[in-house]
Amino acid sequence: MTTSGISRRGALRMFGIGALGVAGAGVLGACAPSGAGTSSNSGDTKSKNFDFTSWSLNEEAAKPSIEKIIAAWEKDKSSKVRAVSYPYNEYLSQLTLKLGGGETTGAVHLDIAWLAAVAQMGKLADLGSVALKGGYTNVALNSGMYDGKQYGLPWNTGSIGVIANSKLLEKAGIKKHPATVEEFEGALRELKGLGGGVVPYAAATKVAQLKDIFPWMQTFGCTLLEDDRVTIGDDASIDAVTWYKKLHDEKLIAADVDRFDARALFGQGKAAFYDDAVIGKGVTAAQSKDKTLADAMQPMKRPVLRSGDTPQALLWGGVIAIVKGKGQDAATEFALHTTSDRATTTEYFAARALPPSTTAGLDDPKVAQDTFTTEWTEKITDTATGSPFWQFAQNAQIEEAVAKQVQAVLVGKSKPKDAMKKAAEEVTDLIKR
Amino acid sequence: MTSTTSTPLSGTDRLRPSATSAGRTSRRRMRKDLLRSRIAAWTAILVIGAFGMLPVYWLLATALSSPEQTFRFPPKLIPTDITFSNFTALAENDQLIKYLVNSLIVASITAVLSVVVATYMGYSFSKFRYRGRRSLMHMVLASQMFPQALLLVTLYAVFSSFGLLNTYTALVLSFTTFTMPLCVWMLKGIFDTIPDALLEAASIDGASRWRTLHSIVAPLAAPGMIAAGLFAFVRGWNDFIFAVTLADKEKQTLPPGLVSTYIGEFQTAWPELMAASLVVSAPVVVAFMFLQRYLVGGMTAGSVKS
Repeated sequence: MTTSGISRRGALRMFGIGALGVAGAGVLGACAPSGAGTSSNSGDTKSKNFDFTSWSLNEEAAKPSIEKIIAAWEKDKSSKVRAVSYPYNEYLSQLTLKLGGGETTGAVHLDIAWLAAVAQMGKLADLGSVALKGGYTNVALNSGMYDGKQYGLPWNTGSIGVIANSKLLEKAGIKKHPATVEEFEGALRELKGLGGGVVPYAAATKVAQLKDIFPWMQTFGCTLLEDDRVTIGDDASIDAVTWYKKLHDEKLIAADVDRFDARALFGQGKAAFYDDAVIGKGVTAAQSKDKTLADAMQPMKRPVLRSGDTPQALLWGGVIAIVKGKGQDAATEFALHTTSDRATTTEYFAARALPPSTTAGLDDPKVAQDTFTTEWTEKITDTATGSPFWQFAQNAQIEEAVAKQVQAVLVGKSKPKDAMKKAAEEVTDLIKR
Repeated sequence: MTSTTSTPLSGTDRLRPSATSAGRTSRRRMRKDLLRSRIAAWTAILVIGAFGMLPVYWLLATALSSPEQTFRFPPKLIPTDITFSNFTALAENDQLIKYLVNSLIVASITAVLSVVVATYMGYSFSKFRYRGRRSLMHMVLASQMFPQALLLVTLYAVFSSFGLLNTYTALVLSFTTFTMPLCVWMLKGIFDTIPDALLEAASIDGASRWRTLHSIVAPLAAPGMIAAGLFAFVRGWNDFIFAVTLADKEKQTLPPGLVSTYIGEFQTAWPELMAASLVVSAPVVVAFMFLQRYLVGGMTAGSVKS
């Protein structure tokens, strides 16, 4: 008689085989030759041909402009640039795998939050001497640095800050942007008084975007990290989360809001403030029925705890890094050209509203005449800083760990002190890995 | 004096009025109970049905909505601003057509390869006795235990060394790693239900083992083979992570293709994405419509042993 059932011995055998298989697969993976593929990144550095990897090559809004830059370069230098792209949400893991496997060569577009993780792989070239030729702003240059080395040439430098709806502020009788946390709270109450389902501040309350709490923690005086010691859990971070909870309980911020919801609320004129990157203006205005909304959108300095404090904002942007090996020299020239050539950066700004990273680019009339961008750079990007957690490959898990604890406070499952203590423990564990 | 005599009521008659009324009450109660249970059953079916169909409805509603309506907060259940532009835009997107063709090629070859290999393996496991048979069977099943990420990294390294990255071969082989084990076990279960006497009779009639398998066993196991093929096709059709890692834009299939095309850093083109998802799921729906009787038959074929 045939049997297809699994006996206890059979199950044990199966687990044994499974465990051996997993170990074997691990060993096979570890022993597999790196860069044995056809396009190893340990090839000819003088090659005129190279790859350019960017998630933006997938995106409808960005693709034509980038293809134009590539086409112009190819024509000018009689070279061939292979455009490679992965979806944004998969980009870092794909790039890490392919860079490690020797499949990625040339120039690589990186979100500044990923630079440290990629630089730690030891495959990126130091562009310190090249960066001096670009005329980049100091903030921009810093966004491409890791461990004292210039691994990325800044392409677009911006920040994530607060956007205000001047029409709603006017309606609530608020004459100027609130400068302190106290004034901000007062303004939120005034806006709440408007009724009609207005969410005064469409702050992030969903885990996906609750990393927006970090600048508020910094506003209250928490440094997040000091010499590899996590400072989340100190009085300042607890105060920040307690304040956030207060806003939540008083319905000055709403439950279950992420960036998409915030944009939707703001686009319908139901939110007076929300956090977004500089590009948020175009994205939100495009979704809105109100064609005058774009004019009403204003960048606002994040309120400070005490007058005279530095407003906090998270640096945001992209850099182009160069993979050591095949096509390195030509790719470096291409990166320098793309990020600092005035005509190229201005044209790219006109197409995407992403602020250039050079002084000359920012001074270009086409950029300077854009009041929103100029104000954004002056009010927000000027004092923006990168997250101290970006240096860790586990940055995403760190942000999620803190976000989950903050959410637990918002929904009343945890006290701010306990939650921040737990968050600190989890982040410390993640950093040690 | 007139005396009236009355026939005493029999026991049954005496009980009849009350028994009838009790019977009526009981029947009424039964009818009521039946009605109640029917209403409860229908309500449950409707609720579960609505729950199951809501994602499909939402897909359709979003595909027919304008971007402004899609981002309305709170969302509206019934779209008022209907547009077909999201569907017409699809036809103009050559890259999406390429992804669709890639998906068809890769998923079909995966299905055929999985069924062919699983047929021989399943038949061997079911009808032959040899040393290590059970270990081999368990090894096939144990391969399902590998974390996908681990398999992916290993396959990536192996395909890279063989120069197979960015080819249909890499996709088909990688998809087969997770479709074949279940196909093998499924088909083994089906072959188990085919009586050994039938094979012996074929052998007595002079049929070779090869002929027995192809002319006698395979037609009997056809529903199961179709079911296994459908399973493999759908798994291949839906895979995202292997396709995005092992193939470049030229060879990529629909799931990563759709994500690349519509999900960006700053926003997701939900209406277009939903329209595309609706259109590209059509081949799978059509395949199921035509082959569902085989699917049901095949899935249950191994449940009763001879």
